[in-house]
Amino acid sequence: MATSAEAELDRDGSNGPASAAGESASTTRTEVFIYLARKLGALLLVSLLVATLTFVVSRATADPSFLMVGQDATDEIIAARRAEMGLDQPMYRQWASYMAYLARGDLGISRRTFAPVGGEIWQRLPATVELAGAALLLSLVVAIPGGVRAGLRPDGWADRIVGSVAQLGAAIPNFWLGLMLIYFGFYWLGWFPAPTGRGLFAVEAEAVTGIVTVDALLARDWTAARESIRYLLLPAVTLASGVMPPILNVTRNATVSVVNSPYYEAALSFGVSRRTVKWRLLLPNIAAPVINILAITIGFLMGGAVLVEVVFSWPGIGSYAVAAMDSSDYNPVLGVVLLASVTYVVVYQIADLVTFAMDPRLRISR
Amino acid sequence: MTADLRDAHPLRARLARAVVWITRLPRIPTIMLAITFVAILIGPMIVPHDPLQPNPGNVLEAPSSSHWFGTNGFGMDVFSRVVTAARTDVGVAVTGVTVGAVVGSILGATVAYTGGWIDAIVQKAIEVLQSFPLFLFALALFAALGDNTFNLVVVISSISLPWYVRVVRSVIAPLREAEWVKALQNAGASGPRIVILELLPNATSQVLGLFALSTALAIQVIAALAFIGLGVQPPFPEWGSMINTGAPFLLQGAWWVSTFPGVAVVLVVISLHSLSRFFDAETRGIG
Repeated sequence: MATSAEAELDRDGSNGPASAAGESASTTRTEVFIYLARKLGALLLVSLLVATLTFVVSRATADPSFLMVGQDATDEIIAARRAEMGLDQPMYRQWASYMAYLARGDLGISRRTFAPVGGEIWQRLPATVELAGAALLLSLVVAIPGGVRAGLRPDGWADRIVGSVAQLGAAIPNFWLGLMLIYFGFYWLGWFPAPTGRGLFAVEAEAVTGIVTVDALLARDWTAARESIRYLLLPAVTLASGVMPPILNVTRNATVSVVNSPYYEAALSFGVSRRTVKWRLLLPNIAAPVINILAITIGFLMGGAVLVEVVFSWPGIGSYAVAAMDSSDYNPVLGVVLLASVTYVVVYQIADLVTFAMDPRLRISR
Repeated sequence: MTADLRDAHPLRARLARAVVWITRLPRIPTIMLAITFVAILIGPMIVPHDPLQPNPGNVLEAPSSSHWFGTNGFGMDVFSRVVTAARTDVGVAVTGVTVGAVVGSILGATVAYTGGWIDAIVQKAIEVLQSFPLFLFALALFAALGDNTFNLVVVISSISLPWYVRVVRSVIAPLREAEWVKALQNAGASGPRIVILELLPNATSQVLGLFALSTALAIQVIAALAFIGLGVQPPFPEWGSMINTGAPFLLQGAWWVSTFPGVAVVLVVISLHSLSRFFDAETRGIG
């Protein structure tokens, strides 16, 4: 859901280093250092602002002290409880202690399970990572070759197919697609298991990564691996359908712009083989936008998996947040929101660095 | 020629131009949206059954001539519910997006015209807002504000607002130093007048394209929220919650309860997307 729009609208942000300092080779190292420091500063600033927003939200939700004490608590008990929770402190103090807790990885206590939210998220994270990773892998395998193929001949048959797939993928709500896949895959064909999360079978091997598929493969437990892939496939396809369209579009458009460029035509007319042109000219030149959209996708996947997790009862952080929301337990919701947005910001900055490291033009033009 | 026509029959010329413009719209999406519009206007009056009338006698009936889209787990007619829900989904989406569009466009145009530190702060704020995954952002807002239809409108307008700020700002910022803007300033035009009457119209086609796009997104978000039980509550007809109530029956083979509302979402969203692409092409002068 919503990825295409996000991708289309979300594509500026910080690009490359802004410093216009000296250009001699001797200062390069300092410059790179300054550049990294700036990036890190921006990262911290945005994360701090994001956390401030969740702080505001957490204070805007009903006064938690009322919910912690019984219905017939006297004013004194409530006041004592408020003092205990620090809610009688001035706002900036509350903010500071909130940040201090966050810095220690403390996301508060879940009112439903009375367990620390950080621990619960940590426990459920591998499931989400498994699902998101599989979806990312699927969309990469399909979208990059597909996008390149479409872009090589704009308006050719491949381009039309890719265009329609991208349009459909962007329009279909992925929770609905998940249900349709369950209907066909489970009820109709009987090839796939009922939507019961990651299945109830146990992997004999020791959990190394917590990602069931990978653990089973590492332990060479082929039955478990096959089973876990069977459980993983439908949710992964569902999630991939939502994130694939923007990758397809960006790859296709980047390819078109390379194909239409004079250097590409020149290389072809000099008789450079198509193969060489593709690997030496095309792919390096589409790398930057593709990496950029991949970063957006990875950031999106953390939160975008929510509905797919709900549909397939996948025991990840998304279904955790929704279950908490159902019982008005907001700490887990905010914890997941915080984690997903900080991941987004971090991944985006890393992608920026990768592009910078890869593209020599960005270094020379400084 | 055009000028002559305009002088002779101003109204007729204007109508003619409108007709020409409408014929250039992409056909199928426009027809789809027109049907949706009719469903919103008179849908609840012309549907064959009361969308809220349970009928224990024919629960989960397959599609037939009397129930085109079958009946749901309470025996309610799915077709009538899908048609009635257009008013809820599209209505809430358009309301929310309109609020976001008006506030966002004016804010975007204002900061583009003013520039300086206000501009920088607003840009940073937008960047922070957009680093929240959209759907989780909606969840957090619901957590803060409480779960009801009015807050759903608030959620929709606050997720669309940043886009308008960003797009309008990017269109108008380069115009700040334009000669004609300076001329207006020298002629003594007030700031708000320049921003709203003179600068903002330059972003019309971008805003229209964005409007179609963000309405589509809003419909998806509304349906997704209702799917997990937030916003519009069942049994009130709404596409997302209908998909949700039909989900358990899918496992028993009753596909129609969830399928049809989903198809409705897909058709409306895909039509809005292609309309948005049309406006984008207009902007770039290709259309």
